[in-house]
Amino acid sequence: MSSQKTERLINLTLALLATKRYLTKSEIFKSVTGYSGSPETMERMFERDKDELRSMGVEIEVKGLEPLFEDDQGYLIRSETFQLSENEFASDELLYLTMAANLWHDSALSNDSNAALLKIQSLSGPIEINAFNSPVVRDNENSHMLATAFEAIEKCKKLTFKYNGNHRIVEPLGMFMSSGFWYLVAKDDKIVKSFKLVRIESKIEMDAGTFQKMEGFELSSYLKRYSEEEIMQAEILVRKEQAYSLRSKYLVTEYDSEWDLMLIPFSYEPEMIETLLWHGQNIIVRNPQSLRNSIVTRLEEFING
Amino acid sequence: MVDNAAIRALRTMDLIPYILENPGVSISSLATRFSVTQKQIENDLQLIFMCGLPGYTPYELIDIVFEDGIVSVIDPQVLDKPRRFNKNELIVIALGLQILIEINKSHPTQLEKLQSLSRKISKLGSSNSIMFNAVGTQSAYLDLIAKAISERKKLSIKYNSLVKDKKTCRIVDPQRTYFLNGNLYLSAFDLEVRSDRVFKVDLIEDCEIVDFEEYVSSQKPEKTFEVILDVRKHHRSFIERNSSVISASKELDDGFEVHIQISNLEWLKRSILSNAPGISISSPSQLANEVLESAKSVLALYRA
Repeated sequence: MSSQKTERLINLTLALLATKRYLTKSEIFKSVTGYSGSPETMERMFERDKDELRSMGVEIEVKGLEPLFEDDQGYLIRSETFQLSENEFASDELLYLTMAANLWHDSALSNDSNAALLKIQSLSGPIEINAFNSPVVRDNENSHMLATAFEAIEKCKKLTFKYNGNHRIVEPLGMFMSSGFWYLVAKDDKIVKSFKLVRIESKIEMDAGTFQKMEGFELSSYLKRYSEEEIMQAEILVRKEQAYSLRSKYLVTEYDSEWDLMLIPFSYEPEMIETLLWHGQNIIVRNPQSLRNSIVTRLEEFING
Repeated sequence: MVDNAAIRALRTMDLIPYILENPGVSISSLATRFSVTQKQIENDLQLIFMCGLPGYTPYELIDIVFEDGIVSVIDPQVLDKPRRFNKNELIVIALGLQILIEINKSHPTQLEKLQSLSRKISKLGSSNSIMFNAVGTQSAYLDLIAKAISERKKLSIKYNSLVKDKKTCRIVDPQRTYFLNGNLYLSAFDLEVRSDRVFKVDLIEDCEIVDFEEYVSSQKPEKTFEVILDVRKHHRSFIERNSSVISASKELDDGFEVHIQISNLEWLKRSILSNAPGISISSPSQLANEVLESAKSVLALYRA
């Protein structure tokens, strides 16, 4: 890797950023240090430099300066597309941005979290330490997998991976994190499904071709449907002076000298059973009958092996 | 990442606004923050020292001083502000804000500011295809806990222990808070038992900062046991959620054989019962019998 090229890229960026008007190629070759050789050589160098900067997300604007001459184009980088502005965020906003980015610094998104934090601190200076003592997210996700999935969603590219023993080719539509795990929402054989990322059994790869984005798909409304399950109510007996974690969340009424009565709303039976069995002999379900039956069946199965 | 010329050019340019806002920063701290070696930072700084605006007289060059491993910027030229956030950085910030909004549901002023910031970030181009699905985690004590951690103060907490099923009062030295599997935890050193403990923040019933002299208690360090579990395939979320205690795992025909190292057997017994019949203990047999007996006594309640 040559330092000369890095230096030229920096000087080119600075020149395009500092100029108020569009610079032509010949002005660039004359004034920006690092361009030398025959006109063709300089031309090639410039084209390559411009492409490389663009591929890193730098927006270089082009404008035809002289309608009659196609070659005579001008270039500049607008400060507002390249840099954050001084008063874009108030000081309390910078604090919240730090907390928000810092949440992920221990997770699979740590690279992006760090990059964002650097930029925030390049606006704000050192941040009050309290922001860093706010919570962080811990996960067991694979950051490469997350990055690939993010990119595929953005660029409408199909993903291939192995899930539940089968090879899938899916059209990714979105991703969400729920209860600490990432899920990929994707169209698999005409049906929109959620795939839990930690359950993907292979590498996740992006296909070369793109797909047509599904019309009318909104992740937020998909998630709303996902969580809007029917709410049921469990009527349970709780042994006195026991199950404090439930008592801190739900009200009880006196039932007899040994038990209290508690009502708990729930939507997903397996989760409810898990919560109730955790308390062992300190809880008995009275209603609904279906929940009672499920608990009895599970325990019988467990005891009989 | 391969450090090609464009990547290096942008990193080098990123150094300038950072040093400008953090004058007197050390080379070693820059190396850590930018995830490269100190040598690389020195090379980058040498390089940008030669760069500037057309004309390239001393007035047009970027001017920095570095001496004894400490750096400051005298003239940043046009590099006085950081680059804009890219797409992934915006996504990370937007997701973080969604979590902060969730935690701060009961603080109207903070909530309003966070929501308006969140709208601002989404206008800047974060993705609406990547979201955080809220589960309702909030705690009245989060600010207090963060304060105690920052100021290295002890906390007195009243805690509803899930495992012991008891309300206990403890004095702890708080270390950090984190989300795991969607729950918010506080990791702290329990001064009574002289050992690290993890608390679920939503089970903390009362919490205050206290002045507390440390004392040495006579508790012995805890013993860990190895337990082998048979986890059925559709209960594998147990493995996903508890990966930190799992030392080995082998896939079988319809499930997994999982070895775990654990000191808290009460937690394990409750977890197995609550996942019945999806998880069973294959070793040690005495522990397996204990769980079986408690399952029988629960069943007896339903048959009474």
